Amino acid sequence: MSVEDHRVWRPSAPPVRSGGRPLTSTVSPWLRWATEAVWFVEHAFERARADARPEEDTRVRIFLIQIVFAGVFVFLAIGAAHAALLTARGSAGAAAVSGALQRADLTDRNGQLLATNITHYGLYVDPAEVWDREAALTQIRRALPDVPESRLRRILNGDRRLIVAPGLTPSERQAVHALALGGVSFEPEDRRVYPLNRSGAHVIGTADTGGQGVSGAALAFNDEIRTAGAQARDFALSIDLRVQGVLENELAATATEAGAKGAVGVVADARTGEILGMASWPAYDANRRGSASDDASLNRVTSAHYEMGSVFKTFTVAAALETGLADLDTMIDASEAYMIGNRRISDFHATNKILSLEDVYLHSSNIGTSRLAVEMGADTMRRYFQSLGLLDAAPIELRESARPRRPRDWSDSTRASLSFGYGIMITPLQMTAATVALVNGGLYRPLSLRRGGTGDQGRRVVSTGTSAAMRQLMRANVLRGSGGQADAAGLRVGGKTGSANKLVDGRYDPSRGVGSFAAVFPTDGPETTRRYVVFVLIDEPSQGSRLGGAIAAPVVGRVADRIAGFLGVTRRADPPILAGVAR
Amino acid sequence: MTRNPVQRLFGWKIRSVRWIEVIGLVCVGAMVFSVYVAKAAAARESVAIGQLEREIAENRQRVRLLRAEAARLEQPGRLEGLSRAAGLGPVGMNRQADESALAGLKPVSVPVKPPAAPAAPVGDAVPPLVPAVAASAEVPR
Repeated sequence: MSVEDHRVWRPSAPPVRSGGRPLTSTVSPWLRWATEAVWFVEHAFERARADARPEEDTRVRIFLIQIVFAGVFVFLAIGAAHAALLTARGSAGAAAVSGALQRADLTDRNGQLLATNITHYGLYVDPAEVWDREAALTQIRRALPDVPESRLRRILNGDRRLIVAPGLTPSERQAVHALALGGVSFEPEDRRVYPLNRSGAHVIGTADTGGQGVSGAALAFNDEIRTAGAQARDFALSIDLRVQGVLENELAATATEAGAKGAVGVVADARTGEILGMASWPAYDANRRGSASDDASLNRVTSAHYEMGSVFKTFTVAAALETGLADLDTMIDASEAYMIGNRRISDFHATNKILSLEDVYLHSSNIGTSRLAVEMGADTMRRYFQSLGLLDAAPIELRESARPRRPRDWSDSTRASLSFGYGIMITPLQMTAATVALVNGGLYRPLSLRRGGTGDQGRRVVSTGTSAAMRQLMRANVLRGSGGQADAAGLRVGGKTGSANKLVDGRYDPSRGVGSFAAVFPTDGPETTRRYVVFVLIDEPSQGSRLGGAIAAPVVGRVADRIAGFLGVTRRADPPILAGVAR
Repeated sequence: MTRNPVQRLFGWKIRSVRWIEVIGLVCVGAMVFSVYVAKAAAARESVAIGQLEREIAENRQRVRLLRAEAARLEQPGRLEGLSRAAGLGPVGMNRQADESALAGLKPVSVPVKPPAAPAAPVGDAVPPLVPAVAASAEVPR
């Protein structure tokens, strides 16, 4: 038998690794040390009694407990002082940013509001607290005529609290609140509101009640809008509301006057690819998208396909210039109809003479461009159409951007049709992107609704020389060709008209046409000049002329005239260089 | 027996109560009181901050509402409709000029010295009124 002396605490020796070692030494030598220390304290009373100093036992215990408590309190005090004084502001318990939203406010490039979240209210009624149900029904119906009577009556005669109407505006809430009815309560709910109603409805798009975008920019930038909302920031689009307003108003006025089925307008910055205005007529009220017809909710800019007619001659002529097949002075025989097999191609404005390439463009000669297309060959033409984005969906953030209806083959006859805009159906956005590439020095860039553009350097489709020649040709077409009505004073507008009949039941119906005009201004100046592309298309005008030069070109002229000031385009007379182009 | 300083400190008594305990109680009391004062002040400020935050949130809602209302009222389509109803329209290019062109639009009038000899009737001294904008600016488009 052995007696352990507890008067002296001896830290144990390091554990020896053997088969019969205790659990503490197996787990940790420190645990064993702590166990023995506690054991030492517990035996303090016995040691004191053994030393004949029983009073010290209590003191030692109290002192030790004081030490422990003091240590804990000091630790807590230091922690509290550190948390109170030294923690960075906003980092503790401030996970949510002040003013955070489910979706950010959408603005135009200048900060004008396009879409926002406003707190609406759900109206709830608890029938158990309603004193006079008939009076309540009458008064609520008077304040909110849109609430169905049957629903309200069913809730008032029910036995539990139910929602009567969601999405009350603050003024509607106030009107019901002022009735001072018992059992009526409101619960706030966040709702997306489009203060511009119809203006920009297609491009802005809408979001559902769950805060997810379902169309337009709201869908295209869904994640970024939600992120910006969480950070209480606005999200800016490239749209300029002033340009958008002018475009929509001029388009609606012309389309209404002409009794058109639809109309399309796009304004783009040729240097950056930013869309400044995008209008599709008819439009719908974005706050009532559910009640909009399919026709109104269709964004014709991105999703409608058209055979656009002679505006395609710009691409044919550009390809001919770029490949060296022709220059502006090359003479092309348009003195008689051009036969491809049994097919006879003639001119709408027949000149019956040999024309230079410039005159082919200015007189919009189908014969001339058909001859170019046939001579060019299938591979070359397909390559240029491909590089101008005419065979693929227009690159833009909008998910609605539709793929074109491409030609089935690239035979001589098909190429002839393609050269003057038949046999291929593209979206107005594709036309805008291709025109931008031809006039900005020859770089094809994705169009963008992001303020500042995508920053994409783009790919070269034609040389700067060809691009300059195309601008001069387009300007000459406005001065002396079919686009005269687009000539806004001092803005050096250039462009190409397009007129096409629609294919109905396998035949081109002359009573259903599409008139379009693809324009750029200003046409002069170096490659770095800020230029703007305007494309307007009127779909099936029923009154007046259906020709692009008569119905679409005037719209472009008025739009350019009115937006030039917003865009900072200086007006001045045509530069003398154009006299040289005119030969 | 020699006592160390700690033992002397604990042995320092008044009416059989250790001074160290009295001092400790006073310190604890002071600390409790100061914590109470600090907590009360913090609670007051917390209430004030809560009130301000509620007001900020309400004002933010009102700002959003007013901003949306302003956007609705100022939308270009509505303004153009109102302007056209009032007989207004876009200003023609030939009626526009920047600052540098102002001098060319209106000739600079040279002040005429009044004659020293008998003054002319007041009516003759008034220079003829020249239209502010030259006739060219009124050419209809």
